[in-house]
Order: sequence, then structure tokens, then C-alpha cells
Amino acid sequence: AFQENEIKLLTAEIERLKNFGCLGVSPSLEGLRDENAKLKYRLNFLQKSLQEERSKTAKSMININSCLQEIFGAAIRAAYPDLENPPLVVTPSQQPKFGDYQCNSAMGITQILLKTKEQKVSPREIAEKITKNIPANKCIEKVEIAGPGFINVHLRKDFVSKQLSGLLMNGVQPPAVGKRKKVVVDFSSPNIAKEMHVGHLRSTIIGESMCRLFEFAGYDVLRLNHLGDWGTQFGMLIAHLQDKFPDYLTVSPPIGDLQAFYKESKRRFDTEEEFKKRAYQCVVLLQSKNPDFIKAWELICDVSRKEFQKIYNCLDITLIERGESFYHEMMKDIVKEFEDKGFVQVDDGRKIVFVPGFPVPLTIMKSDGGYTYDTSDLAALKHRLCEEKADILIYVVDSGQSVHLQTVFAAGQMIGWYDPKVTRVAHAAFGVVLGEDKKKFKTRSGDTVRLIDLLEEGLKRAMDKLKDKERDKVVLTAEELKAAQTSVAFGCIKYADLSHNRLNDYVFSFDKMLDDRGNTAAYLLYAFTRIRAIARLANINEQMLRKAAREEVLILDHEKEWKLGKCILRFPEILQKILEDLLLHTLCDYLYELATTFTEFYDNCYCVEKDRQSGQIVKVNMWRLLLCEATATIMAKGFDILGIKPVQRM
Amino acid sequence: QVLHLLGPKTEADLEKKTKAAKARPAPLEKQKAAVVENGEVGTETRSLLEQLRGEALKFHKPGENYKTEGYVVTPNTMALLKQHLAITGGQVRTRFPPEPNGILHIGHAKAINFNFGYAKANGGVCFLRYDDTNPEKEEEKYFTAIREMVEWLGYQPYAVTHASDYFDQLYTWALELIHRGQAYVCHQKVEEIKGHNPPPSPWRDRPAEESLLLFEDMRKGKFGEGEATLRMKLVMEDGKMDPVAYRVKFTPHHRTGDKWCIYPTYDYTHCLCDSIEHITHSLCTKEFQARRSSYFWLCNTLDVYCPVQWEYGRLNLLYTVVSKRKIIRLVETGAVRDWDDPRLFTLTALRRRGFPPEAINNFCARVGVTVAQATMEPHLLEACAREVLNEQAPRAMAVLEPLKVTITNFPAPKALEVLVPNFPADESRGFHKVPFQPTVYIEETDFREEADKGYKRLAPGQPVGLRHAGYVIAVQNIIKDASGRVIELEVTCTKSDVAEKPKAFIHWVSEPLVCEVRLYERLFLHKNPEDPSEVPGGFLSDLNPDSLRVVHNALVDSSVLSARPFDKFQFERLGYFSVDPDSAEGKMVFNRTVTLKEDPGKA
Repeated sequence: AFQENEIKLLTAEIERLKNFGCLGVSPSLEGLRDENAKLKYRLNFLQKSLQEERSKTAKSMININSCLQEIFGAAIRAAYPDLENPPLVVTPSQQPKFGDYQCNSAMGITQILLKTKEQKVSPREIAEKITKNIPANKCIEKVEIAGPGFINVHLRKDFVSKQLSGLLMNGVQPPAVGKRKKVVVDFSSPNIAKEMHVGHLRSTIIGESMCRLFEFAGYDVLRLNHLGDWGTQFGMLIAHLQDKFPDYLTVSPPIGDLQAFYKESKRRFDTEEEFKKRAYQCVVLLQSKNPDFIKAWELICDVSRKEFQKIYNCLDITLIERGESFYHEMMKDIVKEFEDKGFVQVDDGRKIVFVPGFPVPLTIMKSDGGYTYDTSDLAALKHRLCEEKADILIYVVDSGQSVHLQTVFAAGQMIGWYDPKVTRVAHAAFGVVLGEDKKKFKTRSGDTVRLIDLLEEGLKRAMDKLKDKERDKVVLTAEELKAAQTSVAFGCIKYADLSHNRLNDYVFSFDKMLDDRGNTAAYLLYAFTRIRAIARLANINEQMLRKAAREEVLILDHEKEWKLGKCILRFPEILQKILEDLLLHTLCDYLYELATTFTEFYDNCYCVEKDRQSGQIVKVNMWRLLLCEATATIMAKGFDILGIKPVQRM
Repeated sequence: QVLHLLGPKTEADLEKKTKAAKARPAPLEKQKAAVVENGEVGTETRSLLEQLRGEALKFHKPGENYKTEGYVVTPNTMALLKQHLAITGGQVRTRFPPEPNGILHIGHAKAINFNFGYAKANGGVCFLRYDDTNPEKEEEKYFTAIREMVEWLGYQPYAVTHASDYFDQLYTWALELIHRGQAYVCHQKVEEIKGHNPPPSPWRDRPAEESLLLFEDMRKGKFGEGEATLRMKLVMEDGKMDPVAYRVKFTPHHRTGDKWCIYPTYDYTHCLCDSIEHITHSLCTKEFQARRSSYFWLCNTLDVYCPVQWEYGRLNLLYTVVSKRKIIRLVETGAVRDWDDPRLFTLTALRRRGFPPEAINNFCARVGVTVAQATMEPHLLEACAREVLNEQAPRAMAVLEPLKVTITNFPAPKALEVLVPNFPADESRGFHKVPFQPTVYIEETDFREEADKGYKRLAPGQPVGLRHAGYVIAVQNIIKDASGRVIELEVTCTKSDVAEKPKAFIHWVSEPLVCEVRLYERLFLHKNPEDPSEVPGGFLSDLNPDSLRVVHNALVDSSVLSARPFDKFQFERLGYFSVDPDSAEGKMVFNRTVTLKEDPGKA
């Protein structure tokens, strides 16, 4: 048995030697093999990732400006590695002789070197050093140093051409933004039982457009209508309702004109002491959720809601109603939270919260125990941050509310609901609407202008304009005429609002907005239908255009072709800028520039050549038709973001 | 040496055995009653009940997580718990989460028993979850071995899951964590963040957008191993800052293939997997106490259901090592044959040695669930084995050092057959037949040429009884070889009912099978072979040279002929034995599980 064992051991030994070979295996061999396997794995992984990135970026439009910023950023870092946060300025050039884009960082760097290192270097010298360090890239043809130290950048033609082809094949795709972030936009937000007036118009139009922009850019957008549906005014409304329609619980009261109803109750509230007392009781009963009072409240809200919806339908506005009543239950906890964290002071029976940097405190509870706008706005802020988990929260509210909102935001930071480094909470403020007399917008009799009347008038004026031009008689069918009417009327009202810097007050003028010259919707809509008509008149259909987009190279030899091509590709950088500063007029300015650049191109470059005598088509310059198509595609997307509906014919 | 030790014990053995046999029935009946009540194996039921003593009594009810001391309640906790109860229906859910990078050992048996046992005792369920987050260590064989051992111990997982099942969800949550400003990509080297008071990461406050992009780069393979990690923004109990959540590894994973080159860490994965599976009680050993706050922090930061982590003391055994690395060393140096060498305390080794699963479960139950670390002597485990084997292992007779005995006056022309009870204490459990021939073999040590005082077995002039045969033999003639060694005895026999009652009975075999018997001693000489103060030369210097003795030509009665590997027997007077899987046709191999009595010299 002992020998048997010995044999077993020896056999095993032989097996082992056979497998490993008799060579002394270097101990580092195993390590090297591992490393090799890892490197192979990584290589494979990088190839996969590259593919992934290519397929993603190939479809979306490239933001040329940020590409150039990356390139110059790298160049500056390589040239001046010690410089912290060097200024990085890249802008499109104003004139062709200065190239396509300019990098103006050299001047700033001179200043920094002088201040921080006491070195005196001329900006030209810096510009030279930067240009020497530009990394290999696919978009720059050449750079020149001009003037004191501007670096003029000339883009490569094939790069621009390829980007345009991509745009035609893939349509307008937003630049990749990474993870889908959540954006909450608070806009429109009228008060129940009051008519929407021209002041609400701005919030509604700007808010809708902002939502469309963020949605296009790939964000998850929540559109909230912060209705004023829970104020003390409901006390008098309900009391009045009970008097006028005692059987309101069973028979739906016919309140046609809610504003008149409101005025009546307001008058009684101001003059009848008894009524006033009862109105206050009604508030208490409503807030304690007495079912009869809730029912009355709902009836009143419904009347308003229907009115609002008419306007939203006209303007094509989408909103989720989440009024102040939604936050009512949360307010108690808000007050408690501020108390628990020791932020509350009691002043004359009121509970107030001072926020560092803001002289006026927030009143979170009145001396009678009621809540205020401060409380409901805090509750809404918290809900949007903590429940909705907004990454970006935008309030489209008039500038008059600025201090109030900034105080509320600061309170939210103070109590720890959000960190401004992580979450962006912004007030997209806007100025008031003025009449043509530069005074507050009123009717001739001095009343506030009802929004619905304004829209009606817009429709009428648009039709007059169309008839003026005799479009009704020659070109359009009745249906087409109607479509053109609404498109022009509502498009112009929106565009007039959006094309002005929202921070300024703006003058409401139908005459100006319906003018078909200048930066107006009327002009752009006409321009757009004309561009779309070019291909149609050359008998080129969509299918042929798509085929050409795949096969034809866009030649950009003509100066005007080149200018138009670059202008088209600026779309992503325009959108990027608006995502940052929320100023939509930039988009309107861009679309206007695009339309005028197109006109320049169209006046100088024949797309379709016809025989002068017979009118027969002699030659179709397909690449130019493609430029037309690219322009139209961008314009259509721009209109879509602005909430304007172009028509095929007008 | 073993026989030498065995020799003097014979008489005492014989006497006490009858006593023991009489004393046993009581507990046996109790166990049977339990069987009727619960429809389960008696021993198992008892172990569950015993486990529920101790710490487990303090455990919260499902859904009442917040009642546990130290549980962190956030504004979302109550809603999440409500949701949790809706999903589980209020059921207790536990999990056994081994890393599939080695063989389970006795310490794991406690974890298995505790997790599966607690769930079972409360009508709940227990998951078997492989914590396979580390791609470098995993091998397929470990997965099957682990499951086999869980089932061997008598437990059925509610579901078999893998941490890698959740890689996608974990990744999404990592993005969310960065997004919430609670994690960041860091480039400190491993060496930099090792040790006490490492410098805080200079990348701690980088903007979330930047971390998101860099984390994406990590996922895409743009960073080499060690060049970037994702770290969570929290300080742990022990002062450790910002534990790592993800690291880069260019290694394929046995389940996800080449899908990932970043892999989550234990700290990041464990609590989130518990949360996903809606574990009610996350039971773990005490070393993880320092990670409790990170456990709660992560679930709460992500606003997901947060289970309660409960810690219990580890179960350690003296005279052995259980770490994977050390066992590999033992195997490499040839000190043991493999992972399942019966001298080790891995579960496969214990099974091979012949420990019944019930014995291991009982042992765990006896150690109980306490916060304190339990360090046990192996003899307690052995006692548990004896208790179970006494009820389970049928009797057989084997002779380790045979001495040939020829009966000159054999009462029959041919072989007789003797009936041997399988369990002498309970004859209702049947008999087996063994042949009885003129030639029998007894232990060499059961014969002495001169009987001194106190010696009660065979000697000239001192007859001895043959167990179960019904005959008493007396020495007639001693045959020696040239060197004077006794090589055979010639004896006469008398039926025991007519003979004078002998002083002792001995075991014997006739017409036996030749087999190999492996006798084991402790593998290490010292209680704590890993303790440098006790064993300065390291555990490899502490090996017991006599830990294995192989008897190549032992003889065993033919009743064991059809036994399968892991079948267990009590060889009369020698101990409990189990059939080794090495057994081949015509050559059976037996491992001695334990001796019949605890050796007083070793206690």
C-alpha cells in the first residue's frame, strides 16, 4: 500500500511536469499575461465606447462654438499651464474678412499675466503662442492673428458641408445633454374668478416657449399652472353664491360672467358689514374642507377654468393645473419646519422669517393663524424640489415679484432644500406690457384689457391684413385662409412678445406686429412659405430631396452659400445660450438673421434656372435646393420652439 | 498510537454503553414529538427555537424599521415603509449573501442558519444572493458549491439572486447620487487614501456636471485602473472619509461578460441590493457595524426603502484556519489534500469527514445569536456530531490491526450467520447479518500474553466474549513467527449461555472486506495558529505531524458492502465513520468522523 501511494504521487508529479513544461517559469510571466488580458479588455471597451459616441454625436447637431472653445481651451492650457481659469472667449465674426469665428482670449490673458505674475507680454505674442498650441481637430482650416491679438478662425469647408448633410439626413437633433434632467416651469398662473389679462399673456407665452425649448433639448419638463385658487376672495364669492343661488348644491348655477359676479360680491364685501363677516366665516369653513363649501369652491373654479382653457386652446398652451390649494395641506409642515430649525420670530402675533441679505422678512403665518403667499410659495418650492426632484426650476413671473421670489429662494437654501451648485432655481422675470402711448396697457375706457378680447381683435386684424393683400381672392381657399388667419394672428402676438428682451417693458402694437417687413412673425412666416415653395415650383418632392441629401455634396463656394451654411449651423449655440440665460429673444433675432441671410443668398445664387422666354426649367442646382431645405428645417424647428404654426401657403 | 489510546477504554466502554442506551430514549421521544408537531426534522426545529433566543428577540417587526435604535428616519421613510409592506405583505425577508470567491466554512454555517432559520421561524423567506461584484475572484465552481452546501444544511432559498443582476439599477443610482451632489469622481491613488488620516480628496467639491461626465468616461474605459474612482460624500463611524462606490477594472465578469469596466464596491452594493429585494432584517457579522451608517446613509440619500442592519458576533473555531488565502497555502504546501480535506473546517470538509448537517446546525444553535464573538473549541462540534450520529449511524464492526484467530472446535461444518442489531438501543430499527466462520480477526491489542490486574480482555486463561456472536473464546495455542511476534491464535469456543460470563466482550470480523481507514487528529497544535504571539513561526509552522494516520489494510464486516460515499456507521468501540468519496470498487475508504467518547486528554 505504501508503494501504491508512492506510485500515485510520482504519476501526479509527471502530469504536472507535462502541463507546465520543464522550463523554469518566470514569476513575472503570470503578471504580464494578466496585464495583457486587461489591456485587451480595455482596448475592446474603448472601441465599443467610441462607436457609441460616434453614433450619438453623428446624429445630433454639433455646437461649433463650444467645439472651438474646447480647442482653444486646450491650446491655452498647453501654452500657459500655470494659468488658472484663463478667459475663454469665442464668438462668430461680424465680417467675412475676420474669418468665421474669433478667439479674443489673448487680451484678457495679457491683463492676467500683468496682474498676477507682473509679466508684460503683448497680446499678439500671446495669440501667437496660443495658435502654435492648437491641437489637431476636424473643424479649423486656418487661423490668422489680426489687430492687437484677435485670432481669426476659418472653418473647413468640408466640415461645414458635412454638418449640413447630417442635418438634412437626421433632421434637427438637439446636442447631446447627457442624463435627462427634470425641469419644472411655473408659468401663466392666473387667479380664479378673475379674467386673464394682458399681464398673464407674457408669462403664458414665454413659459410655453421655454418648456418647448427644454423639451427639445431632451429635458423632462413639468409645466405647472400655479393657479390662484385658494385666497380669501373665495369667502365673499361663496357667500354671494349662497345668496344668489341657494340651491347651488343640486342645480348648477348659471354664472356666465364670472367677472361681473366677482365685482358684485366685492362691492357687497366693501359695503355690507354683515356680508363681510359671513365672508370670513366662509373662508374658515372652506379651509376646514367642509364639503358644501368645497363644492361651492369647485363650482367657481370650474367656471374660471373653462374660460382659461379657451385662451390656452387659442394659443396652443399645455399646462398641468396645480394651484395654491394643492399646497394647502403642506403649509402647516412648512411652518413647523422653519420653527423646528429655529428660523421663526414672532412679531406682533405674526410668524416671520428673516432671510440673510433680504431686508423684508417672509410672513409665514398671519396673526389670525392664516397663511400667506409666502407660505404657499415656500410650500410649492419645497414640493417642486423635494417631491418633483427638479434639477432646474423656473418661475416665469413678472419683475414686480422679483424681491419676493428671491427671498423665497434664499429661504429655501437657508433651510437646506437645495444647493444652488446642484439645483438651479431661476426667476425668469419680465417687464410689463405697455400701450402704444407707453403707458400701462388699458382699454379706452380705462379698464384692463381682457385677454380674450385682445385675441379676437388679433384675428380680425390679421384677416384685414390678408384681405388687404388680396390673398383671399387670388391664392387661398377658404380653409387655407382661415389657417393663415390664426397662424398670423396668434403667431404675431407670441412673436412680438418673445422677440423683445423679456426683462424690458414692451409696447403692444398690432400695427407693428402685423407688419410684414422687419423682425416680425408675419415676415418670417411669409419667408418660410416662400422657401418651401422653391422646391415645389421646381417639381422636386421630398423624396428627391432626401436622396440628394444622402448623395450630393453641399458646395459652399459662393460667398453667400458659405454665409448661409454657417448661419444655419449656429442654431445649436443659440439654443445653448438660451438654455443658460433663458432669453428667448435671441432665438427670434437668430431666425430673423437666418431669413435675411437666406434672402441675400437667394438674390445672388440661382437655385432653379429657367428659360426666360418659355419659363421652362433648364437646370436645378440641387445643392442649393438642399441649402433652402436646411434653412427651412431650422426655421420650422425655431417656430416650433416659439409656438408658432407655419402654414404651407399664405 | 490510536489503538494504544483505545485499548484501556474497552471495559468502560462496554459498561457505559448499556447505560447510555437506557438513558437515551427520553430525548429521542421528545424529538419525535416535535416531528409530529411541525412535520420537520426534530433536530432542526430545536435549532430554530434555540436561535430565536438572544439578540433575535429584539428584532423589529417588518415595516417597523423605525422602531430600531439608530435607524435613520427621513421625511420619506414612512411612505417607503408603507410601500415596502405592500410589496412584501409584511413577510420577514432575509438573505444569505456570500461572496462567490471561496468555499463556505463553519462560520458561514452560522450565517446560513441565522438567516434561513430566522426567516423560517417567522414564516418568512430567505434569498441566496451571490455578492459577485468583484469580477476578479469569481469562479463558476464556487457558485454551485455554495448552493450545494446551503441545501445540504437543509435550506431552500426563496430565490437565488446575484448582485450583478442589479448592475444596471446600481449604475442608475450612482448617476442619481452624483446628481444629488453626494458622490464625486476622485483621482487620488489607492496608496494615498490608505492608512490613518489620509488627506481629503481635492476633488470633493467639483461640480456634479463634471463628475457625471467623468463617471461616464470611467464607464467608457477612458480611465485606467486606479486613475479614477467614484466616492460617496460621507464620513463612516471609524472616521473613514468618503468610501469608494465604483472602481475601474478591466476584467470580464462571469455573468455580465464585457458589458462593464466599472464595478461597484461592497459598501455601495450591499445595502442597495438589500433594498431592492426588500430585505427586512439585514443580518451581518459585527465587523460591519462600522458600515451601518453608510448603509443607512446611502438608502436614505437615494430615497429608497432602507432595511435594518443587525449585527451578530462571528463564530470562530480554535485549532483551525478558515481564510481562503490560508487554505490555499495549506493546499499548495501539501499540508492538506484539498479544500475538502477532512481536517479542515470548510463545510465540504465537514461533510466529507462525516459530520451530519444536523450536527452543524445544532452546533450553530448552541453557540446562539449573540453580539459577542463566539470562539469555540472543536470538541463542542464533535459532541453535537456524536449526538446525531448515535441516532443515525448503524452499527458495524471493523478491525484496524487484525490478529488472526482460528476456532478449533467450530460448532458447525460451514459458516454461521450472526444477526447484529443496527441500533442495539432500539431493536425495532432492524438487524443485519454478518458471517461467522472458524477464522475471525480481532484487534491485536485485544490480546495479551500476560494479563495484569485490571486487564479484562483475551489472555491465556482469561476468555473473552465475541460481540453479537453468542460465543466466548478461550486461548488454546499461541502461534508466533521467527521474531517472536504473535501472528495467530488457536482458540476454543463455548456458547455464551453455557459458558461462565466473560469479563469483557470484544468486536471481531469474519470473512471481512479489506478497506482503508483514515484517522484524524487536529491539524494544528495551538489554539490560535494565526496568532503570532502563540505561534511566532506562522500557521504553517504549527502543523500537527500526526494529524492524519492512514490504515491501509483494515478489515470491516461485509454489512457495509453496498454503502455509498457519505454513508455513516458506528464501528463498534472505534468511533463514527463515514464512507469517503475516494472509495472504489473493491476498496472502500472510511474517514473517522469522531471517536465514541471525547478524549479527556484533548479537552
